[in-house]
Amino acid sequence: MISLVLIVLTSLFFMGIVIRTKSIASGRKGPGLFQPMKDVIRLWKKGAVYSKTTSFIFQIAPSIYFASIIMAILVIPFCQHKGIISFNGDFVFFAYVLAFGKFFSIIGALDTGSSFEGMGASREALYSMLAEPAFFILMGSFALYTGHTSFHEIFVSLHFGSYISYGLGALATFVLVMIAMIENSRMPVDDPKTHLELTMVHEVMILDNSGFDLGLILYGTNLKFAMYGALIANFFTGSFTILIGILIFLAVQIIFAITVGVLESFSARFRMGNNAQFIFTLTSISILIFFGVLLIMGKFV
Amino acid sequence: MDNFWLIVSSAIILGIGIISIPLLPSKIKAFVNFLFVLLVAITTSIPAINALLGNPMDISLAGSAFFGNIPIRIDALSAWFILIINLTCINGAFYGIGYMKPYLEQKANLSLHWTLFLIFQTSMLWVCMLQHSLAFLIAWEMMSLSSLFLVIFEHEKKETLKAGVNYMVQMHIGVAFLTVAFIGVYFSQGSFDFLAISDYFGTNYNAWLFLLFFVGFGIKAGFIPLHSWLPHAHPAAPSHISGVMSGVIVKLGIYGILRVALMLKSELLLIGESVLIISILTGIFGILNASVHRDFKKMLAYCTIENIGIIGAGIGLFLIGSAFNNVILMVIGLSGALLHTLNHSLFKSLLFFSVGSVYQQTHTRDMEKLGGLIHQMPQTAALFLIGALAIGGLPPLNGFISEFLIYTGFLEGINTIGLTHSTLMILSLASLAFIGGLSLLTFTKTFGTVFLGNPRQQLHNPPTEVSLWMRAPQYFIIAIMLSIGLLPQFYFSITLQLIQSVLPESSMADLTKFTPTVTLMGNVGKYSMLFLIMLVFIYLLRNYFVKLHLVQENTTWGCGYVAPNVHMQYTGKSFSKSLGKLMDIVVKEKKKYTEIEVGEIFPQTRNHNSHFVDFFENTIFDKATKQLLKFLDYFQFIQNGKVQMYVIYGIFFILMVFFGTLFNLI
Repeated sequence: MISLVLIVLTSLFFMGIVIRTKSIASGRKGPGLFQPMKDVIRLWKKGAVYSKTTSFIFQIAPSIYFASIIMAILVIPFCQHKGIISFNGDFVFFAYVLAFGKFFSIIGALDTGSSFEGMGASREALYSMLAEPAFFILMGSFALYTGHTSFHEIFVSLHFGSYISYGLGALATFVLVMIAMIENSRMPVDDPKTHLELTMVHEVMILDNSGFDLGLILYGTNLKFAMYGALIANFFTGSFTILIGILIFLAVQIIFAITVGVLESFSARFRMGNNAQFIFTLTSISILIFFGVLLIMGKFV
Repeated sequence: MDNFWLIVSSAIILGIGIISIPLLPSKIKAFVNFLFVLLVAITTSIPAINALLGNPMDISLAGSAFFGNIPIRIDALSAWFILIINLTCINGAFYGIGYMKPYLEQKANLSLHWTLFLIFQTSMLWVCMLQHSLAFLIAWEMMSLSSLFLVIFEHEKKETLKAGVNYMVQMHIGVAFLTVAFIGVYFSQGSFDFLAISDYFGTNYNAWLFLLFFVGFGIKAGFIPLHSWLPHAHPAAPSHISGVMSGVIVKLGIYGILRVALMLKSELLLIGESVLIISILTGIFGILNASVHRDFKKMLAYCTIENIGIIGAGIGLFLIGSAFNNVILMVIGLSGALLHTLNHSLFKSLLFFSVGSVYQQTHTRDMEKLGGLIHQMPQTAALFLIGALAIGGLPPLNGFISEFLIYTGFLEGINTIGLTHSTLMILSLASLAFIGGLSLLTFTKTFGTVFLGNPRQQLHNPPTEVSLWMRAPQYFIIAIMLSIGLLPQFYFSITLQLIQSVLPESSMADLTKFTPTVTLMGNVGKYSMLFLIMLVFIYLLRNYFVKLHLVQENTTWGCGYVAPNVHMQYTGKSFSKSLGKLMDIVVKEKKKYTEIEVGEIFPQTRNHNSHFVDFFENTIFDKATKQLLKFLDYFQFIQNGKVQMYVIYGIFFILMVFFGTLFNLI
């Protein structure tokens, strides 16, 4: 329950921090922290335009995408507290529920019959598919390390002891940040501020969405960011009390948001053709984490 | 009624059916066939349900001195498969009523088709009941042959016939392996009873015999590299047949492998690892190929291969678990495999039925020629969509349940067994996630290309929604699928009892050990339900808000371009092109075109042709066959077509026999 409240709270200003960081980095003052959220609320109050080509899929897709994110957030634990949903192997449920939402966002894009949106949909499907193994190997390694298979139990019993384990924590954070960037179609793989439809991934998929639906999708992205931030925060809050936990949580989220902003200000998007290879290297980093875990557990001779 | 008499009556019903169906008018053949299928299903399901409830059936038919008695046994494992066969056949026969309507004037062909359908169903049931090698092989052969003739219903098409011959040859290679294996057991144990296999495993090296069985049954199931009949036979067959074949006939390969695997005594670890690795490779190979093909039935055939891989992974887990005496791994692996067998038979027949409806209306299997069908066939589109979600293993549908079990198995395996195996387990875990991601790509592509957007080509007849006859069985399948997705603990407990009754050791005596797992499955079902409720709730909320404001209709945003046409739509091929390029080691694209030459000032119209080829078929089998043919060409002088020569061979043979006996040589 706490994690849900905290994630929703963070989602209100997360994107604001990212945008403010980018503004400051480029020498502007930038909008207020809550401007992205105000934009979403404005969209929720607007009417909508639907393409004549579209069918009921286009109508239901944004809601399903949004619902899947909410459902995934319910799985995230906080400190010593379980998420609303918690069972052995719940991270599989987490990944598959998100995939359900993704399925609908992809066919929602294809429903418009636009070649641009098809292009974006194809890339989104490919990239998220390539990122799956990295996440599963990461979680599998921690399952091996802790002997548990649910988010909550893994995070609670995760304690850093040796130098290697700190290294592993850093690597895992890196992998999770990158997965978050891929899942949210942000900088190294996709530039949300690009001006050419041909080079977009996520932005081009939602070209035809408007009004309430667009608001849902945009807010969904904010929630997704906060959700991954919460996942990363859980690496560090496992054994603390709630109060310190909340502080760490907020600190991690803010640092995460600033990192995203800095990353987007000072790096260029990869060439579209190289993205696949880049995403696949995440899997090898995950395998590195797995070997590290084996090392700690003394299973290597 | 007694179990025995129920089985006998199913045979009698079959006899009556075979005689009466050809005599009926074309119009009601299909319907009467459905009734017979239903009757056979009822008579054989009762003993099966009894067996699942703990009263297995064991009857011996008196045989001759050579054959020995012929045992007919229905244990829980057979029962599980019998129920799956019956369910799928009932659905297939019902769907066939509507699907075969356009062929009503082919009277003789239809008679043959429906009688064979009945024989097909019954022979599959016998395969699950007979536990006598020779009788089993006869039933197995009947099943292969009847399905062959069902596949080549449209025998006037050259491709169909070619696919049929391919199927027949491959099935007989499989039978050859099985025969060798059974004969081997007979010579060592002196009995055709399946129990002899168990005795054989007790005293001999296990791996070789298992390999023979695995190849024999694996050809039916479609493990790589034995899969190459599937992508040919499924597109060629009528859709209700493809549905039944993909739904159950490949599962009988799984049945055979399971039957043998349960009897293994030693070398479990080696066999388990091999099965697991082959299965994971099968899964990846199948889904990679599925993602690039444009023929939607071929796509589904490759997808069957993928799912066989997932089932095989469950069996591999079970065997590795038995090697380590790890009961939890055994049970989770086996129940995952069994549940996925059921699940796959449900959603795969659903998918074949819904694309069958598309084929009936559009007469093409090429998805690049379709598009926008959701406007004309909204219900078929929704049915296909639900099947696609289920096969991708997404909650709240049934595919998630079995995949979740197998994931749980891998996680259990990571934690409980040694270094080499946790590496194997984590790689399998990642591969399963990879397969899941790929199937998402494959099915968004197929659904998007066939049903969404604008029509890519003008069709001869405007497609319309298919009749209720064809839709009804699909809704029925969805109802069962949802029941598995939302109440998995019920189905899981059934598999638990099944496993307890088929495992020989007393290690399984303590079922209470699995109460947490049952609760876990219950939780998964509960949360899937919550997910479903949340989907509906947010959608209703959204509808409420959208209605508050102005809603307009306009054309799709063309990024400033105002004259788009349908050919500018993204094609299915381009959707999976970047994946195909990335994985071109496995999915090879062959292109045929002529380059424009330097001096060619006025180029003529030319064609560009590209298609994907099967790695194993293209690089291994075709080349091997070519070499073999080349070698056999050296012996062509023997078969030279001259009658005189053949007479000489005859005389030569007779003389040999004569002198042989004269000098006591033979």
